Amino acid sequence: MMLGFTSKQLVGVGIFLFMIFIGVPLIIGATGRWDFYFTLTSVALLAIASAGVWLTFYIGRINIGQGAFALIGAYVSAILVVKAGWSFWISLPAAGLFAAIVAILIGLPILRLRGVYFAMITLVLTQVVTLTALALPITNGAKGISNIPLPSSISVFGIPILPDFAAMENTKLAFYYTACIIMILTYAALYRLVNSRLGHLCRSMQQNEELASSIGVNISYIRVVIFAISSFFGGLGGAMFGSIAQSVYPSSFQVADSVNFMLNCFLGGLGFVFGPMLGTLVLYFGWDLLFEFGKYQMLIYSTVLIIIIRFLPNGLLSIRFGKGGDK
Amino acid sequence: MQRRTLMKATLTAVSLIALQATAALAENTVLKIGFVGVTSGPAAAWGISNQRSMETRAAWINETGGYEIGGTTYDIEIVSFDDQKDPKRAIAGMEKMAQEGIHYVVGPNVDDGAAAVRPVAESNGIMYFPYAFPKSLYEAPASNAVLGMVANYQSGPAIYKYLMEDKGVKTVAFIAANESDPLSQRDGGVEAAKALGLEVVSDNVTYQVDTTDFTPVLTPVMRSRPDLLVLSGVSPANAPQLIRSARELGFQGLISTETAQDAGVLAEGAGDLANGFISVGGASTPELASPMMNEFVERYTTMFGEYNDESNTKVYALEYILETLKADPSALTDVGAFQATMDSFEAPNPYMNGDAKLRYVGMSSFGQKRQVAVPLVVNVYQDGAFETLFVAEVD
Amino acid sequence: MEQILANGVYLGSQYAMIALGLTLIFALMNVLNFAHGQMYVIGGFVTYTFYGQWGVPFVLALVMSCVTLAILGALIERFLFAPVIKGSAREESTMLLAAGIAFFLDAVILLVFGEKQRGVPKIVDGVFNYDFRLIMPYDRILICVLAILSIVAFIGLMQYTKTGRALRALAQDRTAAQLMGVNVDRYSMIGFALGAMLAGLVGGLLVTITGVNLGMGGPTSIKAFMMVMIGGAGVISGAIWGGIILGFMEAIGLALLYQYGDITYLLIFVSLMIFLAIRPQGLMGKPWG
Repeated sequence: MMLGFTSKQLVGVGIFLFMIFIGVPLIIGATGRWDFYFTLTSVALLAIASAGVWLTFYIGRINIGQGAFALIGAYVSAILVVKAGWSFWISLPAAGLFAAIVAILIGLPILRLRGVYFAMITLVLTQVVTLTALALPITNGAKGISNIPLPSSISVFGIPILPDFAAMENTKLAFYYTACIIMILTYAALYRLVNSRLGHLCRSMQQNEELASSIGVNISYIRVVIFAISSFFGGLGGAMFGSIAQSVYPSSFQVADSVNFMLNCFLGGLGFVFGPMLGTLVLYFGWDLLFEFGKYQMLIYSTVLIIIIRFLPNGLLSIRFGKGGDK
Repeated sequence: MQRRTLMKATLTAVSLIALQATAALAENTVLKIGFVGVTSGPAAAWGISNQRSMETRAAWINETGGYEIGGTTYDIEIVSFDDQKDPKRAIAGMEKMAQEGIHYVVGPNVDDGAAAVRPVAESNGIMYFPYAFPKSLYEAPASNAVLGMVANYQSGPAIYKYLMEDKGVKTVAFIAANESDPLSQRDGGVEAAKALGLEVVSDNVTYQVDTTDFTPVLTPVMRSRPDLLVLSGVSPANAPQLIRSARELGFQGLISTETAQDAGVLAEGAGDLANGFISVGGASTPELASPMMNEFVERYTTMFGEYNDESNTKVYALEYILETLKADPSALTDVGAFQATMDSFEAPNPYMNGDAKLRYVGMSSFGQKRQVAVPLVVNVYQDGAFETLFVAEVD
Repeated sequence: MEQILANGVYLGSQYAMIALGLTLIFALMNVLNFAHGQMYVIGGFVTYTFYGQWGVPFVLALVMSCVTLAILGALIERFLFAPVIKGSAREESTMLLAAGIAFFLDAVILLVFGEKQRGVPKIVDGVFNYDFRLIMPYDRILICVLAILSIVAFIGLMQYTKTGRALRALAQDRTAAQLMGVNVDRYSMIGFALGAMLAGLVGGLLVTITGVNLGMGGPTSIKAFMMVMIGGAGVISGAIWGGIILGFMEAIGLALLYQYGDITYLLIFVSLMIFLAIRPQGLMGKPWG
């Protein structure tokens, strides 16, 4: 797989990894801005869910339903940990898998829809999942699930693999590293997927589904697989968040979150695998940076957003191509 | 390269503004008190009345020379964080407070936010004063949350009991928005009503928060002909519409709620139809409000153009924090000392006439003193203003 | 039964009006306008300011709402949507712009009009009560009639005027309309202004009944999306049917399912999903929007 990369790309990835694992902790240590750990952890987790949305864009579907899968993931993990006594680390993939299974069941009928109709039905899906969480006994209804224990230690054959979060002095750093590792795995998987045969098929579907179908692509199968992977990412992100907040409520992920996941993809750029990561960073971190402006925070935030999209309608990453030799 | 320069310039500008903001009040030592709550979007009204109450009081203190704690005079600075009613943002807000070295925070405004910030608050030594009712926030092992107002499961029984005895109410119906906070409050209210021996004739009708027409929602409730209609956890925006629809459908009984409301909003939204509407307030009525309360309202109005009656209950949290710090200056940096002081703390209530006291309560509800003793003032709306129905105490 | 029907007609007529503006903008430019609800709220606040605060006659206040929103809509189209549509590789990118505008308008509304719920004095007093089987306050009846009249006027405008014909041509086929000599840029702007104006009008009408607060924007947009989807995106008659159907779904759903309490809305939403899954283009939409 290494052979597929140019040396320039490898250097870029190296710098990126160095920055998030060593650079960021060093900078935070030097400036004393410890609160940025949580913000960056959030960015990493939201970027995971946004990666899923980006993937559905890749098969030409506007997905405003990722909040639903993030909420499902958060609840599955919380229920498994609190009620069934599972380790968080096992509940995490289980949450993703459960979200993927739900996505397959719902996806079979709704993936036939396109354009705004698919967008709309996924938006309604977010509402449905929130209302279901309010109504079901296992989710504890309106009272939500609180007092979720922190992730416990995990060891294989007596060798400790992961430490007990509850015994830690600083869980912030631990959550930050965990979130970053999952994010990198997610985007590596995404990159691999896009550059695989499946990725080529997806691109052909994005262009024209009928044409793709006529040359023998099993489009309905690919659609469901992609939607399931997308929702798996949503479930992962949601489950991690529940663990950090140590609580899950029906309102933990709602329509606004679904819309934001989609906006992250637009802002970063739909044509770039790493678009959603950058989009999430700018949208989420930007809000925090504007904290000093008090009651004008929202005004400035939205103005900047409008200006960006006005002059970079294809996303932030498109600037590289717009300016040619710059950088 | 250009982009980096731009980035640097922006960052510099931002930090300069931040520096100026702090430099403006540099005469006394600055004591920062935090606020994490919702001040934008649909629920902005909840948080804004909170934030403005704090800012009004802080400006007042600073104007009159500062606040003395343990021999040092402090200027009070309110650091506000808008969590957009999103529990994820609320955590970020609490982290921000920890970053600013703040140990006392008012908010968040809703259940999910209050639950989500608990790990951060406890690990960073922050006492926070949420306006959310779940008991798990205040019962041990939770240690750092202090309920900033009277909970519905405390005010509800008092109101129902009064109405049973004085107005002969026998049947009651509940209606709530389909959201965590109102639904939890409804369940608490139903439980309390049943315990008092009231007949609950309808308790499962809900409405979406974005409802624009309440007639279809209320029609089935009206058919059960209750003596009392309780609007559980109703937001100030929905209250006048619900009252109006109920009255227009011919409802003759009483209507009450356990949340704070604004008289102006009721007057505009429901007019005379809101007469007789029972809600919970602070020391808002003329006979209860002390001169200090009146001055607070005056200053609030001057500063922000218009008063919000919801602030009657929200004026207290900051006062409690400051008074408790005054009682034990070591609590400035040590919330353990604050918690110890809470058990015995007592000071006169400056906002209310008579000999009301500021003290911490909650033994019977939470098993530990994790609630501020706001006077439980039950109001009734009449022709554009609130009148006191009765005053009770929470223990 | 009478009550359910009356509630359905009332809700349906106001919903249809909200959906009309949204679907018009979608038909013309393929823009899903996330800021539609915010425009509705601004319309409400303008009427509130003129009629409720300054005592200007209600009809005049309504006109002010329409004018304000028409200007706002025209400016937004001219300086934001038009250039972004030209420059973007995938037209869905306008969703980000629309959401940005929604945030921006929310911020402006909060700064200008404050956070409180606002209401205006009733325009007509009294309640129509037919033997307690049908109860409808007179002001609701009036607003309902006004809404239906506005819808009829709008259809008339689209059917019988030059502007209307140009807009319909544009909605059907942009390129063909351009070839036939329709000034596409100009009519896009007019269409957007018209859509925004409709939002302002319904905001102004409804402020007399429901009042207005800054939180109503987002949920209103989402409700309007649903109606548009039920009827079929970008089709005028579809928006009207969608509004009426959602209105009746709520009225009937609440009347029949109220005893299920918390899950009433869940059932409404689930049935909506099933409907869309079975009939993906809505009632009258072009398939695959």
